[in-house]
Amino acid sequence: MAPLKMSAAAAADVVEELAQHLEDRYRELVSGGMDEERAYREAAGELEELPALGAALERRHPMERVEAAGETNAGTWVEGVWSDARFAGRTLRKNPVFAMFAVLTIGLGIGANTAVFTLVDTLVLNPLPVAGARDLVSVAGARGKSEAKGDETLPLSYLNLRDLGRGNAVFASLAGYTGPRVVTVEMGEKPERMFAELATGSYFSTLGVRPAAGRFYGAAEDNDAGAVAVMNYATWQERFGGSREAVGRRLRINGVEMTVIGVAPRGFLGINGVFGPDIWVPAGMAERLLPNEMGDVLRDRGKAEFLGVGRLKAGVRRAQAQANLEALAGALARQYPEVNQGRTLTARPIREAVFGSAQAQPSLITFAAAVLLAVTGMVLLIACSNVANLMLARAAARGHEMAVRMAIGASRRRLVRQLLTESVLIGLAGGAAGFGMGIGGLELMWRFRPAEVAANLIMPKLDGAVLLFTLAVALATGLVFGTMPALRATRVDVGESLKEETRTMGRGRSRNRAANALLAGQVAFSFVLLAVAGLFLRSIGRAYEIDPGFQTAHLAVFLTNPGQAGYSEARTKGFYKEVRERLAAAPGVVSASWASNVPLWARAVSGLEVEGRVKRSASDTVTAVENTVDVGYFETAGVALEQGREFTEGDGEKAAPVAIVNEKMARDYWPGGDAVGRRIRLPGETGDREIVGIARTANYTALAEPPQPCVYVPLAQKYWDAMVLYVRSEGDPARVMTAVARQVREAGPGVLVHGERTGRMVVGDGLFQARMGVGLLSTFGLLALGLASIGLYGIMAFTVNQRRREMGVRMALGAARGDLVGMILWQGMRVVSVGLVLGLPAALGVGKLLERALYGVGGQDPASLAGAAAVLVLVACGACWLPARRASRMDPLAALREG
Amino acid sequence: MTAAAEQEWKKGSAELLVLSLLEDQARHGYDISKLIQLRSGGALSFHVTSLYPLLYRLEERGWVNGRWVEKAEQRRRRYYSLTAEGRRALRAQRESWKGFVAAMGRVMGVENA
Repeated sequence: MAPLKMSAAAAADVVEELAQHLEDRYRELVSGGMDEERAYREAAGELEELPALGAALERRHPMERVEAAGETNAGTWVEGVWSDARFAGRTLRKNPVFAMFAVLTIGLGIGANTAVFTLVDTLVLNPLPVAGARDLVSVAGARGKSEAKGDETLPLSYLNLRDLGRGNAVFASLAGYTGPRVVTVEMGEKPERMFAELATGSYFSTLGVRPAAGRFYGAAEDNDAGAVAVMNYATWQERFGGSREAVGRRLRINGVEMTVIGVAPRGFLGINGVFGPDIWVPAGMAERLLPNEMGDVLRDRGKAEFLGVGRLKAGVRRAQAQANLEALAGALARQYPEVNQGRTLTARPIREAVFGSAQAQPSLITFAAAVLLAVTGMVLLIACSNVANLMLARAAARGHEMAVRMAIGASRRRLVRQLLTESVLIGLAGGAAGFGMGIGGLELMWRFRPAEVAANLIMPKLDGAVLLFTLAVALATGLVFGTMPALRATRVDVGESLKEETRTMGRGRSRNRAANALLAGQVAFSFVLLAVAGLFLRSIGRAYEIDPGFQTAHLAVFLTNPGQAGYSEARTKGFYKEVRERLAAAPGVVSASWASNVPLWARAVSGLEVEGRVKRSASDTVTAVENTVDVGYFETAGVALEQGREFTEGDGEKAAPVAIVNEKMARDYWPGGDAVGRRIRLPGETGDREIVGIARTANYTALAEPPQPCVYVPLAQKYWDAMVLYVRSEGDPARVMTAVARQVREAGPGVLVHGERTGRMVVGDGLFQARMGVGLLSTFGLLALGLASIGLYGIMAFTVNQRRREMGVRMALGAARGDLVGMILWQGMRVVSVGLVLGLPAALGVGKLLERALYGVGGQDPASLAGAAAVLVLVACGACWLPARRASRMDPLAALREG
Repeated sequence: MTAAAEQEWKKGSAELLVLSLLEDQARHGYDISKLIQLRSGGALSFHVTSLYPLLYRLEERGWVNGRWVEKAEQRRRRYYSLTAEGRRALRAQRESWKGFVAAMGRVMGVENA
């Protein structure tokens, strides 16, 4: 059509009309008994007098000719795209099954990508929903160069932070905040748990957020009289139904009357963007609200509980802020050497503070995000190759149409454009479907977050970036799966195609080679995903069998906080004692005791002094987990004592200070095996403790962690106003939990009891990462497998159709039906085995990389590999068997006649 | 009929043939070519390359009107119908054709050609 330069719409009409005519003719000839080849030549023969047609068309459309070649033809181009799109729409409507399948396949692929990108966008790219986040820097302490350990950051004391706010030259404003802390809120009959974050008066103005309701507090209220609180939006919605009356409401928090003065904007969880507080309270309230945890925090320069956030002055860069902070750190170290010696300050991008103070987390999350994006990208590629395969099959069927179009003068470029329009249309429809599926899937997944902290957890957010991403992926997808089929479909020599005798066989072969290669790749990728999912699954299974060094089968733990209910030290001690006594008599309970540490949640402290140990330098301190435990702890928790004795009622407040260490610590510092009787001194204590026993080393901060030293101290000799209750049950711990919680509440009216879990749940929580891994990888692995089997099925069905005549001949010559099924299966499974062979080294490599995240299984676990292969082969067999069965059931005579 | 004669015939009478087939009802291109073949007992046939340019020419002249019709479960087709002007043209051509045939008959001595 190109030389005629008629409008694209008119050209498309003419082509459609002529193509229809030829097809009608062809059909009629075939139904009249003519064989396909002759009918085709006969119909196409009508095109002999093409020049006449061209001339006629030229006469017909003189007005629509483009004036000159050099001039702009943008109008024609736009019109052309529009008419191409309409034409493509019609073509797809004519093949609703193909269109639906293609859109669904692409939709699944794009959906997976949209979901993962939304997560990445929420967590990594744009985690802090505040204006001008670029100018915000996280200010934290760090060890000086001589003792620096990687990127470790340290919290700052309130006083240091205040001096920095006054002394710096780079920040327009500087604020401090703490991590979320558990507080007890009296609402209704029983006390409730909330998370509160202390934030200085300049916190909200530094971040530049605006209240969703009410107001924020400022510097004027940041003192111990400022009994005001700002509520998290989600908490406001969930606990107060988003009512305006919540603002101005009084809450009794840890015994202090606080007034809710405002609500933070929706989606704002503070700088710890992943897990936020329910309320923010002025830092000046620290000692009134949390006298035990935060005692002296406002006056003691050694008590570092805050992190800083600063907004850079206009034109100031982060490097300048860093230099200024280092100078200030030097001044602080000179002025207050006892706490600031050897310390410096860092100014990091605020992004790095979003995951809290935990080290290496941002890079881990970025890495996980990259892996997930790669995985979902591969799933999308599988979807693309499936649709490309289908389009190749259609291209073969549409060879005649292409030949006719080219015969009447359509340029190849023009046809490729037409075909690409079609695939881009499929891509866009798939994108729309995928957007819905991705967002829906993500929201479904989010519903499974623990309800008790639903308001505190980050929500995946939909923004322009996600929409743009999906649109770009949809467009790219259409081009990716459309280009190869379009080029192939239009690579027809007109004359040859019109004459070609063996058109299905000749082109079919090379088409199949391409399709098979794509398919083998899909199988390989599905295999890798399934094998890794299998690894994680086996790892989780094994993890429950790992001995963490304490018993889990009959364990239940409860977190309590009598201090926050306003209990005095004496009353708290009485409460601990009464709970122990009540539970000793309770049915189904073997024993009960108290400990300061939640299992697998302990944190090591440094600064221990060990008798007989020579310090190599001033900063060379001993680090160990410290756990304050009550009488009966070792029996209840199931921690075996290897030497010496347990704590007894005799180890009271007035008795000689004692401690129990674990085997690791004993071996590290007293390799001669004479730890019992030696002395140690804990950080913050003035006297020594005598070691009276050695306990078995357990896992303290993570399951299957490398052994770390631990020191146990008797509760009677070290007071804590918040403790964890350990209960050992006779049978299933879940059965006694309600009764135990009731006993605890009766013993301590107003005391917050929360976080109740069985030992198995404790281990399960510790396996969070692995479970996430299994969930995501199995989902994507099964998605990939499903797509690959659909692709396999499509190819096999197409092949069976193509070889109908051949199989008819074979059957006529006496081949058994079973032989045919075997032949088809063999053909399909050959592709599958190639995929497996390709996937095996990849799976082994990925397994090796993940080895550190696995419990009790190697990265090259044969069972996982074999399991993945078995699942894959089974599903693939099914996908081949269906077309094979159809082939074996056909009537050989009919097949021969048709062929 | 020889090939040369067929060419001549077509030039003179193709328009009349198509117009008369559209007199009663709208038809699509393939239908028209089929009917010509059928009614002529296979003696007359049109190729795509001459039928469609003819249709387009008639359309250009305003004698026929082509439009796409979509039917459920079928591909859409372009149906051609006579315009009022086309009807007038058909009447005029038919009259002159009859006159021509009658004149031919008289000259050649054949009755009721």
